[in-house]
Amino acid sequence: MAEEPGVNETILTVENTHTFIGHHHILQGLSFEAKADAVTVLIGRNGAGKSTALKTIIGLLPCSKGRILFANREIQKKRPYEIARLGIGFVPEDMGIFANLTVEENMRVAMLSENEETAKRLKRTLDMFPDLRNFWRAQAGILSGGQKQMLAIARAIVNDTALLLIDEPSKGLAPIIVEALIEAINQIKEHSVVVLVEQNFYMASAVGDHFYILDDGAVVHSGNMAELVDDDELKSRYLGI
Amino acid sequence: MSQTVFKRWTKELTIVGGIIIFMVPLLGMSGKTYLTLTIAGLAMGMLLFLVASGVSIIFGLMDVLNFAHGALFAWGAYVGFSVFKLLRNWVEAPSVLENFGVFFVAILAAMVAVALLGVILERVLVRRVYGNHLFQILITFGATIVLVELIRVVWGPNDEVMAVPLTFQGHWDIFDVIIQRYRLICIIIGIILYAVIQLILKKTKLGTIVRAGVENREMVQAMGHNIFLLFTGVFAAGAGLAALGGLAMSIFSLQVYPDMGSTYLLFAFIVVIIGGLGSVTGSLVGALIVGLSYNYVAYLIPWAAAGVNILIMILILLIRPTGLFPAGK
Amino acid sequence: MTEKTPVQIFRSDEKRKQYSSGSFFLRIAILLLFLLVPFLFPSFKTIDLAIKIAIFATLVASFDIMLGYTGILSFGHGMFFGIGAYCVAFLLGKYGSPSYANLILGLLMATVVATVLALLISFISLRVKAIYFAMVTLALAELTLVLANKLSGFTGGEDGISISLPGVFSVAFNLGEFMGLDVTGRILTYYFILFICLVLFLMMIRFTHSPLGRVLQAIRDNEQRAVALGYKTFIFQTISITFGCVLATLIGGLYAMWVGYVNPESSLEVMAIMLNVLLMVIIGGMGTLYGGIVGAAFLLTTQTFLPDLQKLAKDILPQAALLHNVFERWLLLFGILFILVVIFFPKGVIGSVKEYIAKRERTDLASP
Repeated sequence: MAEEPGVNETILTVENTHTFIGHHHILQGLSFEAKADAVTVLIGRNGAGKSTALKTIIGLLPCSKGRILFANREIQKKRPYEIARLGIGFVPEDMGIFANLTVEENMRVAMLSENEETAKRLKRTLDMFPDLRNFWRAQAGILSGGQKQMLAIARAIVNDTALLLIDEPSKGLAPIIVEALIEAINQIKEHSVVVLVEQNFYMASAVGDHFYILDDGAVVHSGNMAELVDDDELKSRYLGI
Repeated sequence: MSQTVFKRWTKELTIVGGIIIFMVPLLGMSGKTYLTLTIAGLAMGMLLFLVASGVSIIFGLMDVLNFAHGALFAWGAYVGFSVFKLLRNWVEAPSVLENFGVFFVAILAAMVAVALLGVILERVLVRRVYGNHLFQILITFGATIVLVELIRVVWGPNDEVMAVPLTFQGHWDIFDVIIQRYRLICIIIGIILYAVIQLILKKTKLGTIVRAGVENREMVQAMGHNIFLLFTGVFAAGAGLAALGGLAMSIFSLQVYPDMGSTYLLFAFIVVIIGGLGSVTGSLVGALIVGLSYNYVAYLIPWAAAGVNILIMILILLIRPTGLFPAGK
Repeated sequence: MTEKTPVQIFRSDEKRKQYSSGSFFLRIAILLLFLLVPFLFPSFKTIDLAIKIAIFATLVASFDIMLGYTGILSFGHGMFFGIGAYCVAFLLGKYGSPSYANLILGLLMATVVATVLALLISFISLRVKAIYFAMVTLALAELTLVLANKLSGFTGGEDGISISLPGVFSVAFNLGEFMGLDVTGRILTYYFILFICLVLFLMMIRFTHSPLGRVLQAIRDNEQRAVALGYKTFIFQTISITFGCVLATLIGGLYAMWVGYVNPESSLEVMAIMLNVLLMVIIGGMGTLYGGIVGAAFLLTTQTFLPDLQKLAKDILPQAALLHNVFERWLLLFGILFILVVIFFPKGVIGSVKEYIAKRERTDLASP
């Protein structure tokens, strides 16, 4: 469904987006872009609006003002399932694993079609996360934190995903698992555009190409990850490190 | 030591304990009476299961408390009543084939008609009140009034006698144990339906999506599934189940009357509270408990029959408020 | 001299405005209307309608305390109403004799029974979600109805119990003429019931304006925040429920006094009473005690004069058989009306009026 993007083509554009949760004005004019063949990272302190940004893109939260364009189509008014079917995968902060279903059933819910293409992608995904094969018929609820995260990501990429939104994958995971995650995302970015929300700077810098620093629901700084890593002043000012 | 033994075998011990409790009535009656009552109780339980399962799944998936379920139940009975009147000769024929034939036609007609009603109800009314329990109760309560009054308009306000297919009537006498034929049919219907529902839920993709949706509605949407279509479908299915329950129950009690829904709605609520909202197995177990206890107590202490179920419900609310089989919400 | 705090200033301003605003005069006017009905419209039908409006308005207000102010839906109001009616019936009819002492005793007994029952129900079902409360009350109400029918030795079964009122209230009593009105026991009963209703109504208003009442509204609006603020929501909800249910019971006792008999169909018919109460509270407006007056007036007047409306329709359009059919099924119309009101006017008459006034005030304040 999604065509192969050209190099440096902008896949996702978020334009001056405002989102309210109840009376709280969370996103206050957020604007950023995600380009093809790059991992875009949204970083910032707690409450800056990073998770809200992803939820707004996938349509789980309505935006009151602004535009969101995916492959040059406006999606801000679409329902979440329509947006997902356009080729956007979503891995929420709490992973959204169906604990009472088996790993196999989790994947089945995720797979939107049952053709050869999807079967190939499934095999590729399971090669990436061999643990899921081992626990194929086990209840998803008994998986460890790291394995659940793998499952959540696997579900999001088993379809023809052009854009993958991941919310804080490294949260609460042991360093060795984080390494495995980094490895996985580096593989994924060859096929999909990744927008990653992270508070863990090590993870962000390991996979990120471009970054946007969020504060109070808007972008306060952006650029290439390589520059940010060296810029101690910027890091301490906005990220406290 | 005994503490840990208890913990490890809690599930098994509870099942054994439950079976023992249900053997207690044996002390107050002959074995044969006990068997007859047990079958009556199981039959009644199966019928309640049909109604309750719809309520349970609808609440589990959609977080909607459907007070209109009783009215849908009544509509199912009345549609079946009309079918029986139309095809009277099939009903009165002494042929098993024709009797089952008209029975299936009635079931089909009732389930389809009421499922359609369910679709209308969901799209026009229920959709407006997602997330607000109070207004759900109010709106479905209003819908109940309208639906029941429509019954009165279409079929008249009087109680009507429900025909029973000839071969369904009567009983078998096995070693002095009286087994009503129709009760056995109800039990079989219940078992088949439970199996079918479980099959659909566990083995089909649709059923898997429904089970996933019960756990996390938002995530299912974000994974590309039209949850609103799912809601309408599940609501319609629940309505169909209620219709089947109504039809079966009307043959059981030999009558249809416009208010028949409210009594059984109450039973359905008691069943889902005992069994756990959102769990089909819970509805089955809860329904069997209600059916059996009602019949045993009706024989032993007649005036307490209606109260014993409420007592059990209160007990469950005190000890295990989420029900026997909480559906991981 | 200590300065007044902003809250105190606000409250005393509110109090002052209360007694001079337009709505205050409206309320006085309504009260006067009730007082003068026997003089202005001496037909029994009208007096009966008026007192029923008063009774149901108070009943609906007591329901609104639970629903509109605390956010709890209970299907048991009909049951409490019936219990009150039966308690009075027991003491004035079946198990006692008509005397003032028994009347008071009956009402007292009703209060005690209601309190115990309300506390029990609260304890059992409030621990779970609010919807369980609705289901449990429904179950108990149905059970009470069944028991009332079955335990006929105790309750008089389907036939019910008839009541004779004591002393000045009895039908035979006659005080003579007063300003053109024949002051019978009936009339005195009318004023007595009206008086009690007024007292109960004022109590409810006081309750909602009290600090306790405000906490309840806080709980209704955002339970989690109320808990976070340290309020034991369970206790407050229980108080509110008990208050509302006890009032319902007392009103049931008054109803029994006026109607003169109780039986399961009229006094305990849960669905019918609940439906009426729900309709009245929705049409009148949730969370506004006065909504009960509007709702009760509208519904009861319509029900009383519906047969006349039907005749009118028959006279004007004798051919429209379907129309007549529909009129026969007035409950159907009310059901549809109920749904429409729930969807489009969830705030009811009084609620919408209040909203309109509030909006007007806001724009008045905003403009220079």
